[in-house]
Amino acid sequence: MGSAEPARHGGASVLRRSVGTATATATSAGLAFAAIDYLGVVSVLAYAPGATAAVAIFVGGLLVLLVAGIFSELNGLYPTAAGIRLYLGRAVGSRTALSVTFTYMTTVVLVIAADAFLIGAAVRHVLHEPAALAYVWIAVLLGVALVANLRGVRLAGWVQTVVTYSVLSGTAVLSVVALFHVGGAFRHPFDLFGRGGFSGVQAVAFALFLYAAFEWVTTTAEEARTPKVITRALFIAPALIWLVSTLFALALAHLVPFARLHGSAYPQLLLGQAALGTVGELWMLALTVLTALNTFNGGFLVASRFIYAAAREGTLPRQFARLNLKAVPWLAVTTLAVGSAIVAAVVFATGQWLLLVSVGAAIESGIYGIASLCLLILRRRETRERPFRLVAGRPLAAFGAALFAVLFVATGFSDPTDARHFSVAPIGVIAVLGALATTYVLVFVPRLQAAAAARAATSRPRRRPGRPTGEGRGAAPATDSGAPSGA
Amino acid sequence: MAEWDELAEALADYTVSCNENERLRKMQRDWSRTLHFVCSDNDITFSMEVDRGEILSTPAGHVGIPDIVVTTHSETFCDMFWGDLNPVQKYLRGEITVKGSQEDVMRLDAISSVIWPDV
Repeated sequence: MGSAEPARHGGASVLRRSVGTATATATSAGLAFAAIDYLGVVSVLAYAPGATAAVAIFVGGLLVLLVAGIFSELNGLYPTAAGIRLYLGRAVGSRTALSVTFTYMTTVVLVIAADAFLIGAAVRHVLHEPAALAYVWIAVLLGVALVANLRGVRLAGWVQTVVTYSVLSGTAVLSVVALFHVGGAFRHPFDLFGRGGFSGVQAVAFALFLYAAFEWVTTTAEEARTPKVITRALFIAPALIWLVSTLFALALAHLVPFARLHGSAYPQLLLGQAALGTVGELWMLALTVLTALNTFNGGFLVASRFIYAAAREGTLPRQFARLNLKAVPWLAVTTLAVGSAIVAAVVFATGQWLLLVSVGAAIESGIYGIASLCLLILRRRETRERPFRLVAGRPLAAFGAALFAVLFVATGFSDPTDARHFSVAPIGVIAVLGALATTYVLVFVPRLQAAAAARAATSRPRRRPGRPTGEGRGAAPATDSGAPSGA
Repeated sequence: MAEWDELAEALADYTVSCNENERLRKMQRDWSRTLHFVCSDNDITFSMEVDRGEILSTPAGHVGIPDIVVTTHSETFCDMFWGDLNPVQKYLRGEITVKGSQEDVMRLDAISSVIWPDV
């Protein structure tokens, strides 16, 4: 128990275990570089033919540096796993923050579903099995991920680092081999608008998707050795992804005709086959399966903990906060796995895997625009010092908000299956997801919070001695003031 | 602003609630950590030593090398240890700040969630 005399704070405590730059960079790159990125490169090639894709990926990389600067400053202000939820809450109010965050989290389900589908399709292809067996592989992969998560199995930091760098270096090495392969040819080196007047903008928007989710490393801010660790990771990881994606795009353009890539769910296997035959195909299959370790480990962790926190907060039914004996929110994890399996099965049945890329790319552009807006607003409201301050932050944030809004529209109305046409399917999916999230927040969350407050008031009296019942109790209502309670 | 006596009383009650909860002990049986706490309003500090889910001690001052560091107002700590507030709500509003792995942060909240499921 406690001693009689209080001790006063003498300085910052150093954690026994903390994350350094190498691990944080691997986390950032690992979250970004999923199996769906191989399809993302094909989507870039759809709008930026041949070697021009490298130009689009470079421009996308420059824009991502702006995103890295914006997230670095926001993370410096609020170094917490609550991340974008807190930035948004402080900037535009908690209801809007909740609606946007719910929509944002659906991208995690999309990425998990996409990876399950893509890996299932790739394994089935290599083993020459009937198409329908991809369903079995999807179920097996998600089943393994579900059981591992329910049992509390986590990838150790060093394993995650090794896996990420293996996937990145393995993809880069095979791409270089393919680039030196005799018989290929570079086409369209600088033809950014060769597929229509808007195609260059769309190519850059899809290139941005290759870096998507790199910013999720901010959710590990609480375990970073110093705040600068996250800032460094936010700038180094995109450079690694740029290098690997560029080599992969050039190799694809060099060796595999676009007509073959166009309808394929496993372009990386086609490249492996073209470069090194069966060995290359197995090489790329192994890397594809390895990406699942990061996606299923990181994706399940981020999304299930978000659901748990939302349920504990009272914005989702509290059943989602129930823990099993491994301290895992079992209902949240199970719901994620089932949801991902359903999405993966629908994608497989409809063959609309490129729609997932378009929806993911549009949501990411939207989130980057919203993050820019948050910085613009918080620059006015928050005057305290932060470890990183973006140079010319206000004009750059205003520029980012406008630019990412354009890219959101460019991907939201894209049709990567036919670059000369537009489609309302991606924006339609996002509109439905956004409408569902907003309706839920406006209609159901107040009911949940009222029920929680009533429960707290009647279930038991306040326990702390000498304080009146009700003081400090009850669920905090979501408001749009943007100010914390008691501020 | 809560003084050390009030915090110590809250910690004593919290320790008994945790250690007597069999489900919590079973859930946290693989969790041994050192926690540091900092009151942001009066700079009072204290520690908590957890061994396989059992709270062994809650001394004043910072003892050992921490796995988790929690910072908030002394009043919030008191309410939290008495089970009178939901720490996640405060955390999501940025009123409680934590340094440590996400898994450990969740394990810490799991204690409140299990011993006071109605808060």
